[in-house]
Amino acid sequence: MNKYYKKWFLPMVLPAILFFTFVIGIPFIIGIIYSFTGWRGTYFAGGDHFWESFVGFENYIKAFQSDKFINSLIYTTMFTVVAVIAINIVALAFALMLGSIKRGVGPFRTIFFMPNMLGGLAMGYVWQFIFEVVYTELIFSPDGIFHVEFMRYMLQNQTQALFAMVIMTVWQSAGYMMLIYIGGLNSISGDLYEAASIDGAGPVRKFFKVTLPLLMPSITVVLFLTLANSFKMLDINVALTGGDFNTRLVALQILRVIRDTSPPNYGMAQAESVIFFVIVAAIALLQVSLTRKREVEM
Amino acid sequence: MTLGSKIGKAILYIVLVALALYTLMPVAFLVVNSFKSQADIIRNPLALPSAFTLDYLSNAFETIQFPKALGITVGLTVMSLVLIVLVSSFAGWAITRHKSKLSTAVYMMFVAAMLIPFQAVMYPLLNLFGAVGLKNITGLSIMYTGFGLSMSVFLYSGFFKSVPLSIEEAALIDGAGIMQIFFRIVFPLVRSTTVTVIVLNGMWIWNDYLLPFMALGTSSTRTLVLELYYARMLSGQFGNPWELIFPAVLISVLPMVIVFLCLQKYFVKGVSEGAVKT
Repeated sequence: MNKYYKKWFLPMVLPAILFFTFVIGIPFIIGIIYSFTGWRGTYFAGGDHFWESFVGFENYIKAFQSDKFINSLIYTTMFTVVAVIAINIVALAFALMLGSIKRGVGPFRTIFFMPNMLGGLAMGYVWQFIFEVVYTELIFSPDGIFHVEFMRYMLQNQTQALFAMVIMTVWQSAGYMMLIYIGGLNSISGDLYEAASIDGAGPVRKFFKVTLPLLMPSITVVLFLTLANSFKMLDINVALTGGDFNTRLVALQILRVIRDTSPPNYGMAQAESVIFFVIVAAIALLQVSLTRKREVEM
Repeated sequence: MTLGSKIGKAILYIVLVALALYTLMPVAFLVVNSFKSQADIIRNPLALPSAFTLDYLSNAFETIQFPKALGITVGLTVMSLVLIVLVSSFAGWAITRHKSKLSTAVYMMFVAAMLIPFQAVMYPLLNLFGAVGLKNITGLSIMYTGFGLSMSVFLYSGFFKSVPLSIEEAALIDGAGIMQIFFRIVFPLVRSTTVTVIVLNGMWIWNDYLLPFMALGTSSTRTLVLELYYARMLSGQFGNPWELIFPAVLISVLPMVIVFLCLQKYFVKGVSEGAVKT
């Protein structure tokens, strides 16, 4: 049987390798090479071929000297921190609440998950209206339900826009993460809670001593997903602010470099995306190694 | 049940209902304002439409060329999903069944690729596909397959480990060919992983904005999301034309909502099982 599988290994795996090579492998390597050249998209500055156009680390130096890029990195980091914390708390709260009721779990679950199905760009337009008109002029205006100046004109200021994007992100992805937490909660055996009750543990103690430690695998998955998604966020950014008022996240910044520079400096855009890749990969590897350690300890 | 815990339950339900209403609020806005004129929307966004009219919906229907865009989006999503499922289940099976340095290397390559963000390959990829004349729907579905593969191979190979070898052995002895073994025996056994792969990739491909935007650009072949983006862009130079945007958004999200409501148990299963395996 082993021989049989060996014979068929290559033919079965070859289509995947081909797709991978052409879509990710080759472009990834080209991208790294081009980040060291004067690539302008349709031609190379200084020669007919990329090897005649090497500029060393110039694109990287330019990227790090660009206020827009540095600003987008800082802004993305802040957005990611706030969004990850908010999504996790809301998703866990949803899951715990649904875990403690018996009737109506299905409909609630469907409703909380549904925003995920609706596209970020499409619903971003609706949210733009909510922030600009409903929040600004109805709910939080001086003659509205209650006056909160911070919640008005949220899309016209860098700090407020960050929270506007967080509000929409939480609305959209908390339900998805909730499903993962529900899965995790269901896998915790009821015996443990019973034993804890017999030992005299109250609900708070049970949560911190039983639920939370046993939920660690789900928390890891959710952390990883929210971290990656927030760092790579694009469509909500495009729909809500379009990057105005210094609200570009990195993903949008890389798209806009082309428009900011003339002739379009694809080499610099490529340098920014390589930096972006290094950060994303570093976060993911750090996360994985931290999780491994914790799992060994448990 | 004591009185205290009854009150606790009641409060819990009140909180849940409030949260559910909050979650539904943007959708309710969307529906209500899809039947109103620009002036009505701005003046009174919360009110029900004063007169029932389908004018705005039919206007949006035409502006975003709904039937054509829907056809393109469905075609693209289905084509990509078929490719992803076939290619990644083949690879996942082969990697799990044949253990060697090469197969481990191939597996690691797919896992490592999950770390590469789209932006890192975007410009060279489009350049490459442009050069070979693939900046079209076919090219797009190839790109989606490439990007969707990593996670799908990972999910499949994880699940194949739990499928016993003995059935495949018996089939081989009975004289079945490789394709027969795969499609008649192996593939049906991993149905639940296939559901996960379809759900996770399908949600992303259907709603994706960036890749169609970069690959199709201003050509007349546009997905629903792209139509929506252009409808808003072209008419939005003098403020936002909400009487067009709201119905256009409503029409463009409707197909996915219907699919979701019909198949929601698969969505729930797909998401939770995808998480357990990753």
